[in-house]
Amino acid sequence: MAYIGAVGLLIGLFSLFIVPSGPPLAQQEVTSKIYRYRERVATGYYEGYEVSPRRQRALVPVPSVRRGLFPYGSASAMVRIRARLPDSHQGLKFYYRTTCIECHPQEARNIHSVRAGITCRQCHGPEPIAAINHYYSAMSPIRRHAYVCAKCHEGANAAFAGFYVHEPAGTALSTRESFPVLFYTSWGMLLLLLGTLAFFVPHSFMVGLRELFENKSLQNLIKERISPRLKRMKDGAFSIIQRVMAGLRKFFEKKKAAENEAEDAP
Amino acid sequence: MLLKRFNRTQRLYHLFLMVTFLIQAGTGFSRLFITTDFGRTLSGLFGGYETAIVIHFWVGVLMMVGFVVHSIYLISKINWQHPIKSILGPDSLVPNLDDAQHLYQRILWTIGLDSPPKVDRWAYWEKFDYWAVYWGLPLLAITGIMLKFPLLTTLVLPGWVLNILALLHRAEAILAASYIFIVHFFIGHLRPTCFPMNEAMFSGSVHLEEALKEKPAWVERLKKEGKFEYAMAKAPARWYRVLYFIFGYSALGFGLYILINGIVYGRYIQLH
Repeated sequence: MAYIGAVGLLIGLFSLFIVPSGPPLAQQEVTSKIYRYRERVATGYYEGYEVSPRRQRALVPVPSVRRGLFPYGSASAMVRIRARLPDSHQGLKFYYRTTCIECHPQEARNIHSVRAGITCRQCHGPEPIAAINHYYSAMSPIRRHAYVCAKCHEGANAAFAGFYVHEPAGTALSTRESFPVLFYTSWGMLLLLLGTLAFFVPHSFMVGLRELFENKSLQNLIKERISPRLKRMKDGAFSIIQRVMAGLRKFFEKKKAAENEAEDAP
Repeated sequence: MLLKRFNRTQRLYHLFLMVTFLIQAGTGFSRLFITTDFGRTLSGLFGGYETAIVIHFWVGVLMMVGFVVHSIYLISKINWQHPIKSILGPDSLVPNLDDAQHLYQRILWTIGLDSPPKVDRWAYWEKFDYWAVYWGLPLLAITGIMLKFPLLTTLVLPGWVLNILALLHRAEAILAASYIFIVHFFIGHLRPTCFPMNEAMFSGSVHLEEALKEKPAWVERLKKEGKFEYAMAKAPARWYRVLYFIFGYSALGFGLYILINGIVYGRYIQLH
């Protein structure tokens, strides 16, 4: 019966091999080590809490979200209304291998990130990132000012939280829909700038040019100094060309004469 | 022969505006361009990103005080016995129909179709310079104060107004800086009649020949009103001329430094 002990040992080793290799019950860090290292070097911030809820799903049930072995694919996940989910990235394939700015490159360009070096998760929170409009989300407009903005802007009120952190490009056509006041103000100011410069730059330049031609001393300068010099230069150039031409003519005449002589010889 | 053009108070206002404007442009653009090498270099002049905004705010407050004092000065200069005549008269900077006519005539003159316009004391481009600053300053001041105290602003206004205010402040600053550093500097320094520098704003006087050429109606009016003899001025001292030449060219150099770098680095601002 010695082999029973051997089987038991094998089973034990096998289970030892299986159990630690599975995902731990604790949360697992999301992004790759290389990406995290790069971000840490670039910004000086280390997102220690950037972890994903592997086993612990949000307790709030989401209507019509299928879970299990075959959740819907990434393509159909795109069409879900993600602005209301407790985990706004639920069901996205390979989510654990991506970073925020891979899918939201435009959103990374905002004053908070660019100027203050604030990372996405400092406002949007750790995984699961709740949707902006989810009722229990810290980013929900009913409590955003207190839970998010007031972390830095002490005393922030609800109206203050209405500031567009992810401000769209003012002159972009799509802004006319999303933020019309910004769109028309930017175009107004841009046209004012261009209009002012478009009038005054040619105007000043033309006036300057005209004054240059009316300048007596300049006219004298041209008449007494520059014109004779130009004439001398022109004459010099002409004489050089003439000499070269004369030389060439002489050369070709000589050659022709030599050829004629050669033809005459036989 | 020198003709008096600006009194000491007016020159002091211009000097004040020059210094404060350049500081505001330096600190403001150092913050706007902080993501670029140019912005970092510029902010180094003003003690860094955080210090620059403190300087920007307090110099802005100083400018507003200057604006209020200047407005009181303006009101005090109105002749209250004939207010309308004084406001719309030739000694006033308020634009009138003559300016439109001068503009038209001057454009024709540049292409050689007409004689130069008979400009009185203030030409239309000088009036434009003046009023551009006069409306730009309060706009920058109001938007600046509202942005400085966003919590107070949002007590009465919605949050998206802050986006608009930031845009207005930025755009007006860029407009003012590009106008001053391109058009105003060209008119003051590079224009053949002024080259190498229009000294009127520093010495307070202009040469009679220059005035006769540029502002013939003004000289005529002075003679007609019998003020011509009183308008004679002394030549500025040599040390003073040297001083304001150095100062003027420093301002020009600083302005061009901001302008050229601003154009070069403009695409790397990363605002949104």
